[in-house]
Amino acid sequence: MRGTTLITGADGYLGRRLAATLLGRDEDDLILTVRAADRAELAVKRERLAAELGPGAMGRARVVAADAGRDGAWADLDPRGVTRIVHAAAVTRFNVDRETARRVNTEGTARLLALAARCDNLQRFALLSTLYAAGRRRGDVHEERLPDAGFVNHYEWSKWAAEEQVLDAAGRLPVSVFRLPTLVAEDDDGRVVQYNAFHNTLKLFYYGLLSLVPGDRGTPLSLATAAFTTAAVARLLDPATGGGVFHICPDPAGTASLGELLDTAFTVFERDEAFRRRGVLRPLPCDRESFQDLLNAADQLRAGPVHQSLSSVSPFAHQLYLPKTFHNPALRAVWPGYAAPDPLALAEATCARLVASRWGRRTEET
Amino acid sequence: MTGVFVDSFVYALGERKVLVQETAEAGRLVSAPSDLESAGFRWHHICEPGTGSYDLARRVTGELAATGRLGRVDAIVYATCLPGNANAGDPGEWERSRDVKHLMDFPAGRLQAEFGLSEAVVFGLNQQACTAMLGSVRLADALLRAEPGWNRVLCVTADRFPEGAKYEQAYNLISDGAAACVVGREPAAFRLVTAHQITNGGLGRAGDDETVGSYFSYTHRLLRETLDRAGMTPADLDWVVTQNTNDKAWQILARLLGVDFGKVFFSSMPDVGHVISADNIVNLVELLATGQVRPGQRLALVMAGFGLNWQCLVLEATDAVRAV
Repeated sequence: MRGTTLITGADGYLGRRLAATLLGRDEDDLILTVRAADRAELAVKRERLAAELGPGAMGRARVVAADAGRDGAWADLDPRGVTRIVHAAAVTRFNVDRETARRVNTEGTARLLALAARCDNLQRFALLSTLYAAGRRRGDVHEERLPDAGFVNHYEWSKWAAEEQVLDAAGRLPVSVFRLPTLVAEDDDGRVVQYNAFHNTLKLFYYGLLSLVPGDRGTPLSLATAAFTTAAVARLLDPATGGGVFHICPDPAGTASLGELLDTAFTVFERDEAFRRRGVLRPLPCDRESFQDLLNAADQLRAGPVHQSLSSVSPFAHQLYLPKTFHNPALRAVWPGYAAPDPLALAEATCARLVASRWGRRTEET
Repeated sequence: MTGVFVDSFVYALGERKVLVQETAEAGRLVSAPSDLESAGFRWHHICEPGTGSYDLARRVTGELAATGRLGRVDAIVYATCLPGNANAGDPGEWERSRDVKHLMDFPAGRLQAEFGLSEAVVFGLNQQACTAMLGSVRLADALLRAEPGWNRVLCVTADRFPEGAKYEQAYNLISDGAAACVVGREPAAFRLVTAHQITNGGLGRAGDDETVGSYFSYTHRLLRETLDRAGMTPADLDWVVTQNTNDKAWQILARLLGVDFGKVFFSSMPDVGHVISADNIVNLVELLATGQVRPGQRLALVMAGFGLNWQCLVLEATDAVRAV
């Protein structure tokens, strides 16, 4: 039966990919909510989405302004006919301040749940969360509700708190929580469109701006592509799939360690003549105290680029001392075609693209 | 272990002692003064307008002469961080005359003449930046090995930043200064155990952040390789006498190397800042003044510099250290 899927944060990195996937896969109409300060910004975003989703898309998709961080964000939206809600709107910066994280990620989820409660025909409410809602927990992490283990940054905390709200509503609403990994590329070819702490850290290493690496070399790092993640979300939105918590990530056997990823990255870097000529050494693993000392010292280097780069990386770096293994049997059970990217092949392809494009500053040679 | 000894450590600083805040107000810093203070810097020393780098070299050599430690030398190794400080000539004369001999007024020759070191030949060392003083000791050792008839080499380093220069490099507060020591065959306060240098010309034009970025991996490698050369481990070191740089740097490096931070000595930093290639000597003089260095103890002198260069000496204190 044809329904209507509401996607929040629809102009975000995952939101717009999910919209494109659903348009190609289902018959649902889409309500795409985007943050826009005024009509002019909404018009710009609407035009951009139309261009990205294709000429026929706007016949099935409606772009509406809604700011997750504001009271009444979705209050004006007609809930009749909404059959699925995918909450992708969020502040995803690791260095987000607590107040912004609370207002947008946590309270924004509560606002959307209020809308969901008014949707008579709702079949699925899906929150896009993060694997790191597990916070400071170490060891095995399963697809289940997580206790408050403390958090290394406000982003993690806010996503955990949002999960709590969604899972609290499980008796009343058909809820799902999708915990996402670190997205490093569009697809297996390693093309990068959006840069995050993963890419920024590699950039510091490539340019010789950081010669210490925080964390334990054995810490597993769950990496994936936007294509894999979007396909998984689309699959999990299938009406035949039940709700619950899902880890959208490679299984433990398909997850590389920090040390393996670094070795792969430097193997790629060392193929680059410019890198070799500069004689940049592989970084030294350092303990938590030393990394904190480095961050403190970097606070005094405000005149240069290292300070800014490190400040974007450091809120996540503490996770590298907290090894976790993310299990995903629930995901694999409902997705027969599950095929996560090979982590080292993905890292190699991504690093090669990053080096060729100098982190997006120049056009890649093809 | 070499059969070469090192002692007679002296240093001189620019005449004007200035607080970091004053230098900031004069527009001669890159960083905020509070950032430099947080890094452990407080005072630094700047030459008066009429004082050149050669004047600083004269002062340290003069101190050796005045205290009877200069004696007869067979060679002078004159090291500068800034290549321009290897010319004592008047740049104005060159501008006026276009005669390049004004670019070849060598300070080592002046020193030889002024102090009556007529037997000494001279060597200039000016492409090792802040590591040049340690490099001069290494070169002196090599010269003594190559010249059986030679007994003593005077090592001098002297640098003064040009008028108008920022007194900050790679987030370090700079002092004008000079240092000297004598390297010889006769037993003296320290035996030279080994010397080691790494140069990475690929980072020769590195910016400040790249210089800082490479600091840990290269300094770590330098120490490991130096100790390997000497058949030593970090635990064999009694002291690590460092350059004056961000006080967090050696807290981190000490952990990486497995060296007790209590052995890391850079006490002069708040008072003198980074005295270009003289830091190790300034700190060694202060360490000796504490009376804590005992015969048999082994010290690593470590320095990183532009170029990029990294150098390390390992010295072993002899019985003569008691008399220093």
